[in-house]
Amino acid sequence: MNASLTGVGVTSFGRQPGPDSVEWQAQAASLALADAGLDPDSIDSLITGYSTVAGHLMPANLLAEAFGIRPTVAFGMSVGGATGLAMLAQGARLVASGAARHVLVVAGENRASGQAREVSTRTLSQVGHPTYEVPLGGTVPAYYALLASRYLWTYGLSPSALASFPVQMRAHALRKPGAQFSTAITIDDVLASRPVAEPLRLLDCCPVSDGGAAFVISAAPTSERSLEIAGIGQAHLHQHLSALEPGGSGAGVAAQRALTEAGLSWQAVDVFGIYDSFSITVAMLLEEIGLVPPGRAGAYAQAGAFEVDGRFPMNTHGGLLSYGHCGVAGGMAHLAEVASQLRGERGVSQVGGCEVGYVHADGGVLSAHVGVVLRRRA
Amino acid sequence: MMGTCPARADWTTGEPALVITTCARCGDHWYLPRRHCPVCGSSQVQDVVAAGRGLCVALTVLHVTVDAGSGPLRMALIELDEGPVVLGRVHDEALAVGDRAAAQFRSDGRGGALVPSFARERAARGDATT
Repeated sequence: MNASLTGVGVTSFGRQPGPDSVEWQAQAASLALADAGLDPDSIDSLITGYSTVAGHLMPANLLAEAFGIRPTVAFGMSVGGATGLAMLAQGARLVASGAARHVLVVAGENRASGQAREVSTRTLSQVGHPTYEVPLGGTVPAYYALLASRYLWTYGLSPSALASFPVQMRAHALRKPGAQFSTAITIDDVLASRPVAEPLRLLDCCPVSDGGAAFVISAAPTSERSLEIAGIGQAHLHQHLSALEPGGSGAGVAAQRALTEAGLSWQAVDVFGIYDSFSITVAMLLEEIGLVPPGRAGAYAQAGAFEVDGRFPMNTHGGLLSYGHCGVAGGMAHLAEVASQLRGERGVSQVGGCEVGYVHADGGVLSAHVGVVLRRRA
Repeated sequence: MMGTCPARADWTTGEPALVITTCARCGDHWYLPRRHCPVCGSSQVQDVVAAGRGLCVALTVLHVTVDAGSGPLRMALIELDEGPVVLGRVHDEALAVGDRAAAQFRSDGRGGALVPSFARERAARGDATT
């Protein structure tokens, strides 16, 4: 595809009181523009993700005014946790079609310090069905806990089967400046943490964070560091847990569409960024996209498959579970990390011989899926 | 309230029933109201009252609830004998994943709403005593 990822920017994530949503977005946008080597006035299109804290109807216009740009195209997007990659997908199509030269994609919010936990829980629970699920008292952790319960029962596993994912993500985060968490954890720590929605415990769940992330997508490379957006695939098969087919959520369909557009197979992919809102999320995604056999994701994690030098180096920034999760920007940090790997700029966490990366995000309850293949330019 | 489909006579409108929908063209069936069959697109769909019994395929005890101060909530996914999977509350602490379950309708939902709530299925057949 004639679309280049020319700039990425990610702030530190964590509980960082002070900036509001637009300020986080502006910080991230500045980082991405500097990374691309572009001035703000070169941006002709702006796509901005929703902020649950700001709750504004026109997030892109709000940011454009505050940031001081006057794009010819500006719009907000809302696809849950998949929003960041869905925005990148639209940005790539805009430049590939010739409708834009430089698209700025931004998200950020002060979800940790600017919103009470009860409000976050209630807001996010609205991904449930308004009459068939929400009145039962369900929350996002409850919906994923039910997926985890079904998964563990289906494969005859105990909750410890998933505990290696939080441990691996934390190990990655210890080597990444800006991560929300910087203390090592063990499987015993995960299993001893307080239950949130059984079988999920606190350390199976990503935190709520303040922060932002941004990308610049351009019709042509701006430097040798620019990457090719080689393939994009999406799938939107359902919204609600009660309509989800286990093993057929759409993750596999989206991944195959992305690989097909890139003309590649999994054998070609060197580094991964897979959405990990909960331990169960990343396990189910890895299995459905076909990287590991059904029921075995945790065993692969335990065996080090997702380490920097493992078979499938993944989320080497620490993922949502340990780098943090500030809404839309949370799922963008995976792509920024994969981009840094492909540019050979990850220092102690650098994956060797990195040419191709795959990033996958989901929104809702494994509802919306976007997969992206990034490739280093030859 | 979000507009989805015309309300049907089930627990969401105060009737003690679980209703599923079947497609007259391809035979697919599902739980949440839809105007068209998700498999074949047909609008020839028909509501059927389910018997309310099935297999418990997932269970959670929710400790961090939407309404602060409310105690832990038990919720389950039940694969009905008719096929579709439904979400419900659980009022039987002994219900485990893999058990047969049966629905009752109780005013246990948020704000006292009528909701389906599941317990282990009582031995309905004379020979199933233990």
